[in-house]
Amino acid sequence: MRKLFPPDLLARDGRFTRVNNADRFNDPRGARGVAGGRPGKKGNNRLTPDLPEAPDAARTLMHGIFVGEIQALEGAGRTCWDFETGKGSDEAPFELKLDMARQCWDEARHCEISVKLSDWMGTELGEFGESAFLYEAACNPDPVLRLTGVNRALEGLAIDVFTTMKDFGDIAGDPVLEFCEDWMLADEVTHVKMGSDWLRRLTADDPERRANALEFQRVVDKLFSFGGLRGETDENPIKLARRFRELAGFTDVEIDDISNVSEEATREAAATGARG
Amino acid sequence: MASVTVTPDEWQYVAFDSARIAAVAEKLLGETGLDVDLKIEVDETTPLGRVSMTSLQPLVVAVESGAFEDAKRPRQLSEVAVADVLGRLLHRCRDRLDPAFGEPPPDAALTLQQSTAWDAYAVGRCARLGYPVQRQRRLYHFRNRHGFNDVADQAFARLWEAQGLTWADLEAVCQETDAARSASVG
Repeated sequence: MRKLFPPDLLARDGRFTRVNNADRFNDPRGARGVAGGRPGKKGNNRLTPDLPEAPDAARTLMHGIFVGEIQALEGAGRTCWDFETGKGSDEAPFELKLDMARQCWDEARHCEISVKLSDWMGTELGEFGESAFLYEAACNPDPVLRLTGVNRALEGLAIDVFTTMKDFGDIAGDPVLEFCEDWMLADEVTHVKMGSDWLRRLTADDPERRANALEFQRVVDKLFSFGGLRGETDENPIKLARRFRELAGFTDVEIDDISNVSEEATREAAATGARG
Repeated sequence: MASVTVTPDEWQYVAFDSARIAAVAEKLLGETGLDVDLKIEVDETTPLGRVSMTSLQPLVVAVESGAFEDAKRPRQLSEVAVADVLGRLLHRCRDRLDPAFGEPPPDAALTLQQSTAWDAYAVGRCARLGYPVQRQRRLYHFRNRHGFNDVADQAFARLWEAQGLTWADLEAVCQETDAARSASVG
């Protein structure tokens, strides 16, 4: 079986359509539109049930999470296989592989939860295009960068999304959405904690490797704050979940940094709109 | 014969085709029995998907480009999405133009419950015309507004299958589901 399996060869049936990341990020309309958003919308964009478009926005978001779960399963599985077992910089310790195997088990369960949640919300599998960004972050040749790019950045974003959507289900009175989010959220906190713990263990004596890994995480965090998606103000649809991130091993300084990255992305999106 | 105008005629931000949009709209006008001119104004500068009827006579519909977009292929037109959006809207227009339907408030004054109930009635009729609508998606919208309970589900099923309803019928459904929500809270 080959190592470092390329994203464009991932197995998908005819329901799924791959969306090219370059097309997605280079859409001339931007995330909010050329004008930077609707007049009057600035100030409160939090994804809550009282918005007219909220149910469809929730469906779209949860489909994105569903394909993310598939790719997280594929990525964690690859980390068990792509590296020889050992403590060298191009190897993965056995205990890390055990954690990745446990994560595969969780992600497989999340896929099943997401399939049933899609049925509940009226979403067809593959209804929306699939970006392979999460899996691409899981193809890094350094396992530590996989841990910061996937476990800490993208699974960290999942913590924010699940927290926002759990609140959404609670306010809307949707018990299925609320419980699904709560159960998956608990696992995501564990996955992010694994990333935080392994980052510190594997780079304890290698500050340069740690710096590279954290820089990769910052890049991924910024890409996924695209258009101000996630942040701490009501202008961001998804709220940064500080408490759960603390439980997942983030320091206050690290959470502040993600918040700053998100603000930067929001400002850039607004500036892009103004130039358009 | 009713005419359809789509603006813009040439597209800068998305790969849409005005003639294809107009063809879907013309077919729907005939199927819904609307003999009126229709103007569709697409805002191609935003990927968002809000839709509104800005004028009833003449009939003008404002659409953000995300509403007509293929969800699997960014910036590409989906005729299924066009039919989904316009089918719902044109059925509501037809109701507004029918004196027997009654006098609903302007769209901007509708509550989310009223709007979603009307949508269920409109999209159910699209389904019977043979369009590929998503019943479960509409049920999910309805539950979000009317409650996750049996009363709401039964009300949705009645609206979906209904013909010849009036505004008073839709208001009665809203009152029924409101009473069920209040009872469950109490």
